[in-house]
Amino acid sequence: MFLTRNTQPVTRKYMIKLVDIHKSFGQQKVLDGLNLDIEDGKTTVIIGGSGGGKSVLLKHIIGLLKPDSGQVFVDDIDIASLNDKGLNEVRKKFGMLFQEAALFDSMNVMGNVAFPLREHTRKKEKEIREIVRERLKAVGLLGVENKMPSELSGGMRKRVGLARAIAMHPQIVLFDEPTTGLDPVMTEAINELIVETQKNFDLTCVVISHDVQSIFTVGHKIAMLYKGRIIEYGTPEKIKMSSNPVLRQFLSGSLEGPISVI
Amino acid sequence: MNKIAATVDNFGRAILENIEEMGRILILFLSVLAWMARPPLKLRLIFKQMEFVGVKSIFVVVLTGTFTGMVMALQGYYGFRMFNAESLVGSTVALGMTRELGPVLTALMVTARAGSAMAAELGTMRVTEQIDALYVMAANPVKHLIVPRVIAGVIMLPALTIVSDFMGILGGYFVGVPVLGINSGAFINNINKLVDLGDIYNGLIKAAFFGLILSVVGCYKGFNTTGGAEGVGKATTEAVVLAAISILISDYFLTAIMF
Amino acid sequence: MFSISTEAKVGLFVLVALIILGYMSFRVGESGFGVKKGYQVNVVFDNAAGLERDASVQIAGVEVGRVEGISLKDGQALVTLRVLPSVRLEKDVEAKIKSYGILGDKYVDIVPGTEGEAYIVAGGDITRTERQADIDKLLSKLGYIAADVLEVTASLKKVVGSVEGEANLKAIIENTRSITENLDRIVTQNDEKLNLMIANLGEASTEMRKAFAALNSVVRKIDSGEGTIGQLVENKDAFDNLNQTLASLRDITDKINEGKGTIGKLINDEETVDNLNEGLKSIDKSMEGIEQYISKAEQFKTFLSYRGEYLFDSSEGKGYFDLTIRPNEDKFYLLGVVADPRGRRTVTDTTVGGTTTRTEKRERDELLFTAQIGKRFKDIALRGGIFESTGGVGIDYFAFDDSLQLTFEAFDFNSDKNAHLKAYAEYRFLKHIYLSAGWDDFISNEGRESPFVGFSIKFEDEDLKYLLGSVPIPN
Repeated sequence: MFLTRNTQPVTRKYMIKLVDIHKSFGQQKVLDGLNLDIEDGKTTVIIGGSGGGKSVLLKHIIGLLKPDSGQVFVDDIDIASLNDKGLNEVRKKFGMLFQEAALFDSMNVMGNVAFPLREHTRKKEKEIREIVRERLKAVGLLGVENKMPSELSGGMRKRVGLARAIAMHPQIVLFDEPTTGLDPVMTEAINELIVETQKNFDLTCVVISHDVQSIFTVGHKIAMLYKGRIIEYGTPEKIKMSSNPVLRQFLSGSLEGPISVI
Repeated sequence: MNKIAATVDNFGRAILENIEEMGRILILFLSVLAWMARPPLKLRLIFKQMEFVGVKSIFVVVLTGTFTGMVMALQGYYGFRMFNAESLVGSTVALGMTRELGPVLTALMVTARAGSAMAAELGTMRVTEQIDALYVMAANPVKHLIVPRVIAGVIMLPALTIVSDFMGILGGYFVGVPVLGINSGAFINNINKLVDLGDIYNGLIKAAFFGLILSVVGCYKGFNTTGGAEGVGKATTEAVVLAAISILISDYFLTAIMF
Repeated sequence: MFSISTEAKVGLFVLVALIILGYMSFRVGESGFGVKKGYQVNVVFDNAAGLERDASVQIAGVEVGRVEGISLKDGQALVTLRVLPSVRLEKDVEAKIKSYGILGDKYVDIVPGTEGEAYIVAGGDITRTERQADIDKLLSKLGYIAADVLEVTASLKKVVGSVEGEANLKAIIENTRSITENLDRIVTQNDEKLNLMIANLGEASTEMRKAFAALNSVVRKIDSGEGTIGQLVENKDAFDNLNQTLASLRDITDKINEGKGTIGKLINDEETVDNLNEGLKSIDKSMEGIEQYISKAEQFKTFLSYRGEYLFDSSEGKGYFDLTIRPNEDKFYLLGVVADPRGRRTVTDTTVGGTTTRTEKRERDELLFTAQIGKRFKDIALRGGIFESTGGVGIDYFAFDDSLQLTFEAFDFNSDKNAHLKAYAEYRFLKHIYLSAGWDDFISNEGRESPFVGFSIKFEDEDLKYLLGSVPIPN
């Protein structure tokens, strides 16, 4: 009587399925019965206000946080009920680009990108170096292998972070506000990179962002998170046409509307 | 009346929080034990930490050890002179250093130097999401970050303590014999006669415990940092204070158990 | 530029530390006197009190060896010495135990023998020992002497010390003086009379000799039955009377022995004796009862323990706080609370329109309770009762003087999942401190099986008093 595996049809459309997720921190309810399906092989952008629980949602997908109630299915496995051992197996399907890239300060670029390879594969050092160079090339960075993270610019750090995220050729890559803190040109470059990478590596991508410009560039599907639930979900065209006042206000950046700015 | 109730309430909560924290530190320690038992150990990381905790602390430890020995010799001399027992200064310095001051002072110095750095390093890694990154890459942070530090602490503290003991006795000798004019033969003979191997070894066992405490506490505080740069600063301070207090308290119990 | 690798630095430092440790150990340790250098010699002392292993062996104040062992042999102390090979001991050397000063450490002093004697071979014996002036004996004798002196001085003080005594003494001295004065005067005044007295005395003694001769003849007369006294002594009748009296006396005691008469009955009756014996026995028994009660009270012990367990696979900790009450050796009660962060999980299935949804509820940070009764049979203890707020049983096996404990527990026999089985070993590696390792919930069908390591602290109520109360004096 295993609870962790559900039998579903073989022609599955969804890579990640969030069912009725509730999560509070103390008195504050962050996720309130959230449901969301994330399509296989597509990029889904989750938008929402700052501090609206987007990061919390992302952390649930990769099991860094556990829901108070509800289930998170990744590739049909309920990761909320897994122990650490099982969770680590699931996490090998993931790559993640953190907001500030979260490169290890104590290692150079080579060490950072090679880290998951050295950790989880028995590849020879030469082979690992080859893969690292290949990944760095894929993100448009070559010749920085021996630099330390502190010597890199913000955009370069993000690229290295992405190279590290795709080092193991994962099925899913999560992006935590990939364009925050970058100038418009760099923002565009990173967006392009996400699109390219998604295509080249055949990835399922989940991007959380509040940068309106980026949303329509990278997203195949867009989901709006508001007050702990997904209030709107659909293609970029559908989102653009939406009459939902919350979404309208968010996209136009107006102060007038249901979203209160203290 | 409400004020009193609130005070009692806060007091009780503070105690409970402390107990809870002790429990969490213990759990962290147990998880370190568990991960230590699971090869492969990251030898390179361990060596790096050993260099940081041990090799780079030699200078401060030599300095504190030497001067402590010198001061003890000087103070002891004035006391023992009243009984015409100046030659006991050597064994007093040696016993004091090997049993208590060597391990405790070394531990306190290393806490200030390396324990704080552990808290700051891990704290920074926490607030910049590097620890989350480890989790995401299915790499356990306890294994990668904490185990090497704890192993380094447990191994290097006794090594530093030996140096401290030796320098303390040497310092005591140089104050005692050439400066204060104690007979050198009596000085050394009394050390040989009154100091046991057990005194040295028990001091080293203590040092290993202190190494464990300062590294586990430093890592715990760093690992559980919240709140950005300010949080890192707070974690560092708390780590030093908690580790120093724990070292002094556990010193009493270790002495009660061992000697 | 020349640079050293991390590994080399660390290695070098550890090496230096080990060399210093080795040097210090060499200087202070027993290895200071060449460990296996020299040969063994045995010597038997009446009393080796205060002599310790590694004590010095000296000739004329020069160290020539160390005491290697002290053991008991036929009620005496067999001391094994290890003596430098360059030092040869003659067969007639003499060994004594001496001490440095009154309070100093003891050492063995060897007085050289006669030159030309044969040498003692390795493993041989020193036969001559001197019973040393034991400092303890000396002190105790000194004590006696002091006590005597004290007594004497005390009584003297009583006589002399008080005002009355002083007056008396003065009077005595005064009297003595006046007596001697008088004596002097009498003697000088009565010189003639005294001479006469002495002459008289001489005469008197001559008279006395005559009187004794007369007495002698009287006694002889009595002996031969002459005169009244002689008749009494020699009279047969009187003697017979005496004999008869004695005979009747014997008769009475015989009767008593045979159980005749009241006293005889009392003494000779078996029942009386039995009664008496019984009475004594019952007193004995009640004494035993009291003894048992007292020893029970001594056996009554309570233990406080805390155990933390870290579960590998869920990366979470479990805490146990237990109070064990042990009224006697083979019975105990265990009360406690368990903090299990995994909490209890309840799963409910709801079927709506053919699709089953499963909702799951976790109660985290719930405190669970333990209440068990246990009985111990030698090395095995059986426990039953409440384990983590569910019913269960457990078995413990103890080894190596209780320092190793192997435990198996089974509880939470819920119908829809496998029972919670747990097995672990716990080892005491320091006083009060234990480490444990085992497997929790190892037949779980919910994926909760996990290896764990644990750490526990156990205190007996006495220990607690010791640790918290009195400061032990470091030796």
